[in-house]
Amino acid sequence: MKHRKRKQQVKLAVVNLVLMLVCIVTFVPILYAFSVSINEQNSLLSSDFSFIPKEVTLENYRKVFTEEPVVLWFRNSLFLAVSTVMISLGTGIPAAYIFSRRRFPGRNAILQMLILLYAFPSLLSMTALYKLLSPMGLINTKTGLIIVYTGTMAVFALWNMKGYFDTIPIEIEEAAMIDGASPLQIVRRIVLPLAKPTVAVTAMMVLIYVWNEYIFAINFMTGENTYTLAAGLYSLQANETSGSWPVFSAASLLVSLPILVIFFAMQKNMASGLTSGGVKG
Amino acid sequence: MKKLTALLLSIAILTCILCGCGAQGASLTEEEKNTVVIWHDKEEAVSEALSDELKRLVPDVTVQLEYKSNLTEALKMVGNDPKAAPDMYFFAHDKIGVYAEMGILAPITDLIDKETLTASCVDMTLDAAAYKGELYQLPVYFETLLFLYNRLYMPDEKVPGTTEELYAYMEEKTRGGHYGFVEQHSTAYYSAGWIHGFGGCIMDENGNVGLSSPETVRALEYHKKFVGLMPGESEYATVNTLFQEGKAHATIGGPWLVSASRAAGMDLGIAPMPVIDETQIPISPYMGVQGVQVLKFAAENKTEAVKKVLYALMQPEVGISLARVSGCAPAVEACYENDEVASDDVVMAMREMAENTIPMPNRPEMDVMWTVAADMLVNINMSGQDVKESCAAAQKNAEELIKKMQ
Amino acid sequence: MKKSDIKSDIKSTKKKKGAGTAAAYLWSAPSLLLICLIVVFPIFYTGYISLTNMNVYHWFTYDLIGLDNYKEALLVFDSGFLSALFLTVVWTAVNMLLQLVAAYLLASLLNTKGLKLRNCYRTLLIFPWAMPGYVSILLWKTGMFNSQFGLLNQWMEKMGFSPVKWLADDMSAFICCTIVNLWLALPFMITIIDGALQSVDRSYYESALLDGADWMQRTWYITIPAIRPIIAPSVVITIFTTFKQFDVIYLLTQQAGAKTGAHIHTILTYAYENAFITNNYGYSSAVSMIIFVILIVFSYGINMKPKEES
Repeated sequence: MKHRKRKQQVKLAVVNLVLMLVCIVTFVPILYAFSVSINEQNSLLSSDFSFIPKEVTLENYRKVFTEEPVVLWFRNSLFLAVSTVMISLGTGIPAAYIFSRRRFPGRNAILQMLILLYAFPSLLSMTALYKLLSPMGLINTKTGLIIVYTGTMAVFALWNMKGYFDTIPIEIEEAAMIDGASPLQIVRRIVLPLAKPTVAVTAMMVLIYVWNEYIFAINFMTGENTYTLAAGLYSLQANETSGSWPVFSAASLLVSLPILVIFFAMQKNMASGLTSGGVKG
Repeated sequence: MKKLTALLLSIAILTCILCGCGAQGASLTEEEKNTVVIWHDKEEAVSEALSDELKRLVPDVTVQLEYKSNLTEALKMVGNDPKAAPDMYFFAHDKIGVYAEMGILAPITDLIDKETLTASCVDMTLDAAAYKGELYQLPVYFETLLFLYNRLYMPDEKVPGTTEELYAYMEEKTRGGHYGFVEQHSTAYYSAGWIHGFGGCIMDENGNVGLSSPETVRALEYHKKFVGLMPGESEYATVNTLFQEGKAHATIGGPWLVSASRAAGMDLGIAPMPVIDETQIPISPYMGVQGVQVLKFAAENKTEAVKKVLYALMQPEVGISLARVSGCAPAVEACYENDEVASDDVVMAMREMAENTIPMPNRPEMDVMWTVAADMLVNINMSGQDVKESCAAAQKNAEELIKKMQ
Repeated sequence: MKKSDIKSDIKSTKKKKGAGTAAAYLWSAPSLLLICLIVVFPIFYTGYISLTNMNVYHWFTYDLIGLDNYKEALLVFDSGFLSALFLTVVWTAVNMLLQLVAAYLLASLLNTKGLKLRNCYRTLLIFPWAMPGYVSILLWKTGMFNSQFGLLNQWMEKMGFSPVKWLADDMSAFICCTIVNLWLALPFMITIIDGALQSVDRSYYESALLDGADWMQRTWYITIPAIRPIIAPSVVITIFTTFKQFDVIYLLTQQAGAKTGAHIHTILTYAYENAFITNNYGYSSAVSMIIFVILIVFSYGINMKPKEES
């Protein structure tokens, strides 16, 4: 018995070691950005680069907050992210539920086709979406961006949640149905509580997408005040004639922080989250 | 399957409706007529100076300078949709052809009479602004590449006057992580100077591709030996850092590099471009003219406000204040009477260089040429392919792509 | 199909079934409508434009010109295109294999019983995902791979090797791109597989352990069949995204003004350099549509469809 415990401990130590190593390797470029961001000099490149800068400064972080409307960008990002997540779930959950539970004409064809849509090289989609949004007066509005983001993530949301719903046994719902519960009540009272993990994961994926998306944001929105964090960051990107790498690095790291915090906080909800699991049928 | 067909049909119908109601006449309120939106992608110092000057010179027009990332692509997308497009944009002259052909630009002479322009602007900036006989840009300032050196390593008397002297200097000094001279050797913008120095070109003003001309081939064959003594990376971050850290004694770079290096405490000198021994022509880089272009919709519907802004931009104060913040050479002749401008070595170096530079072609075909030429240069300089063959292949490729533009 | 569905299907009359179908479409309408607008519409629009002569010279006044663009576009599919296609297939295969194996191993480690720091590791490992892609690629390109200043070469020098031009040679550039792509894509894959692993019934393992099955056997006969249907949609989506990968390869090796000398072209970067830069929207659209069709044919060729419930 003791021997087995010892073996277990050794195994855990090895696992920890491997994971730590992987984390360190993963973090090399990020640490690089970090040390650039606390470096005194205005350079991404330097022949005498070291991870511990000679003169440490938080000046670049101060600059991010004082010289750029970063709080405003954060608010924009947050608004877009929250709205997009809400709408994605609001439209995605009923659709995923129906595709999981009902068999109706066109169902299989639609499910298969949705995946194939990912095969389209969307490099040229920008103009098409512009032509779609512009007549509706949605260019340069948050509504327009929210529609684009929700639509882009809708296929993933549908497939991802449908997969999870498939694993929830139908018997509970049937019992409720006999008791006279309406479909809406069933979804709200029975399915959603059981499906919390997949909802959490889908929400996380949508959130990360919106948080990092910049191509639509810079093309459909004009003016510094309308930027999201990712778009603002893009405009801070140093180029040959102007810009500061340390400030850009500092901003990049700051932008990713909220995602990490939310991800960490949501881990409990996401346990056994992706597409399947918790409920054993 | 029927449902599916119905679904697809309804999408198709929706598309038609949405596209159909795209164009509609717009009548503007007085306030809208008096607001001019200008897109730009310049650094903050430039846009602030510009905005301050305009506020002072045309207090009755609301001018909004908006920073736009991806300006050129965004402009292609919005066309002159009054809901999304700006009224003017501030950019280099080399995109004029694209937008003029698209039909979204108004000739600047519709708003300012030609005599006033020719009387006040440096001649060559107006050459740059012309596309198919019309002027589409009000030039504000121009910039070109300069020969820059670090006096700490390269004293004034050692500055090479000819390319062979430069080569000798490079051979002597390039060792141990130090370089005698570096430049962005495999980008079209930087190599163009060498090509022009041999009488070749990437594309001439009539749109003929010049990549495989004997002059271009000769230039690149000659240039290759210089590349051998430069680092294997050709992008700006590497090249500029090498120079700014004192690892490269000299470079060819824009005015932006001057202010950045001087701010970091470098004793930087500016010299005339070395003369190519074989042709007795100095390295002649491209010149870019930065200025405002007016979109058709604004020219037709906001004529008065736009005119006021344009005339304000022609005031010498604007050029002087921009020269101060950006180190670029003003396009308005009268600016050079100002002492501060006349004593600025960077500005004056560019003013003098103007004789030897060639405006970037502003034809739409250049969009293709930048990529093809860069590919060719990389093949020659970095992959070690035969110069003549690479040039011939690039020429053919460019001509095919240009045909496909139609 | 589940038993209960069959039962109810048999019982229900035709009329009821019709009402059920209508209800089903009603419930999924918002989601499907959004997909139609944002995902399907651009495909139709591109298809429509591919039949016109929309280009710089006819930006607003374009006409339908039939299949001319397709005739032109087929010329792009020359030997250069074929080798790009081949490279894309290799790229997709290599990347997917590495991604799946690495993500599976890491997710398995994360699921080790008694691992206290699990949540910490998971959060740290998703960091690459929390940054916009272009930032990460830039960091890799200038911070790691730059031949003059990059960390890799600084380490090489410290170890006494001569510096390497990582992105200049085709083979090493391919490896560098793969590493960066792996770095970018692993967080998603790990999260997917990690979630799927937790859904596998522990009792299967216990009986397998009793039967004396080793780790490989358990992985092969229990875990993989169990998680396959769950991760399939995400994997299929990732295969398509990898096939269409543009940013990593373009920004690392071909960005205008910063070409490195490597000639690795996937179909998308190839199409970009040989079609999209012409500003000929009709022609580019035709190329896009053809790539779309090629990809669909490919996915049918290797029978790549997400299977529904096990």
